[in-house]
Amino acid sequence: MNVRKVVTIVEEVRREGGREVSPAACVAVVAAVIENPWAGEGFVEDLGPGIDAVASDLGKLLASRVVEALGAPVEAYGKAAIVGLDGEIEHGSALIHTLKFGDHFREAARASTLLPAVEKRGPAGVAFDIPLKHVTDATIRSHHQSLEVRVADAPHPDEIVVALAAAAQGRPQQRLAALSSEQ
Amino acid sequence: MQEMLKGRPASPAQQPGLAAVRKVVLYHEETVRENGAAPARPVQRASVAAVVANPWLGTSPSTSLAEEVEALAPLLARLLVGKLLDALGGADRVEAFGKGALVGTAGEIEHAGAMIHTPYFGNLVRGLLEGESIICFADARGDAGHSLVIPMWHKNHAATRSHYQTVHAHVSDAPRADEIVVVAAASTGPRPHPRIGDRTTDPTVTVDILKEARA
Repeated sequence: MNVRKVVTIVEEVRREGGREVSPAACVAVVAAVIENPWAGEGFVEDLGPGIDAVASDLGKLLASRVVEALGAPVEAYGKAAIVGLDGEIEHGSALIHTLKFGDHFREAARASTLLPAVEKRGPAGVAFDIPLKHVTDATIRSHHQSLEVRVADAPHPDEIVVALAAAAQGRPQQRLAALSSEQ
Repeated sequence: MQEMLKGRPASPAQQPGLAAVRKVVLYHEETVRENGAAPARPVQRASVAAVVANPWLGTSPSTSLAEEVEALAPLLARLLVGKLLDALGGADRVEAFGKGALVGTAGEIEHAGAMIHTPYFGNLVRGLLEGESIICFADARGDAGHSLVIPMWHKNHAATRSHYQTVHAHVSDAPRADEIVVVAAASTGPRPHPRIGDRTTDPTVTVDILKEARA
């Protein structure tokens, strides 16, 4: 795994809808900018060896850092893979849609649900929105949220930005009826 | 929050202190490799942005800004630098610094400058980061999501060329038209591979060299 840089973003919302949010609502993201393991190799049929070489180490690095950055128990989470312009979206998906990647985060967050994801291809500085859902019950509506991320100089055409997001709570001022109330 | 103004609940802009802060965003980056090689020493850069209600909305160009600056700017300096130091590991690790302000479209560019250019912000940022240099800056007016590039230089020796660098500050939903984003930024070292000399190594260069250059 060839990492160029690691970016951490922590957002703290103290007011929403004109009212105080107390305690402040906190969401953290850690993104690693890595070399696309399949850069310059043309169409690679079997992505398995590249996944084996990168996904677990990457998942481990990001999981421990995002939990540390949040500094609170993780209640909602999500992931992202943003592929540089010379790569395939399949390359990004390969790295994040494997238990080798996601299980590190599930373990660190004491989570059990699937990680919601965004996969996208774009130029350096492209904005992407990471969707987050509750870590043990993806139907918990209060925790559906997303966070916009942008790394100014990544991904280069031969890079991939891989990110994990963690929230310490649901949306600030969340007040929607539970899914069960409509069934 | 309990502040009452003429019997009405105060709006965020009228509330004292940090109640005017809607959101705080920390951006932190660590360069592991640059152009294929690890830097001589790993450097971390960070910016912290606070979104505050513009306390001068609708005031005339002749309105004094001093009272609100004195009330709010020191609290912002403490808030922003506190988070910078948490992210970077303490003032003794900080080598370069910078600051910035982005005012929403209903405000005046002077409102952005007011938040960061007086001693009530600058002296406190400098003191808390344990520096001596003047602090370089960016100020602008823009819409929500505008990315501000914050310039930084050495906190004690501003002319140290290796430490000229920038870091981004970006809040996706701020500033609204009636808000200001106030930023403090710092770095723990130089650019990844600094190699453009310094004042001590520069030859004497004047416009005379253009006389020999081809058109």
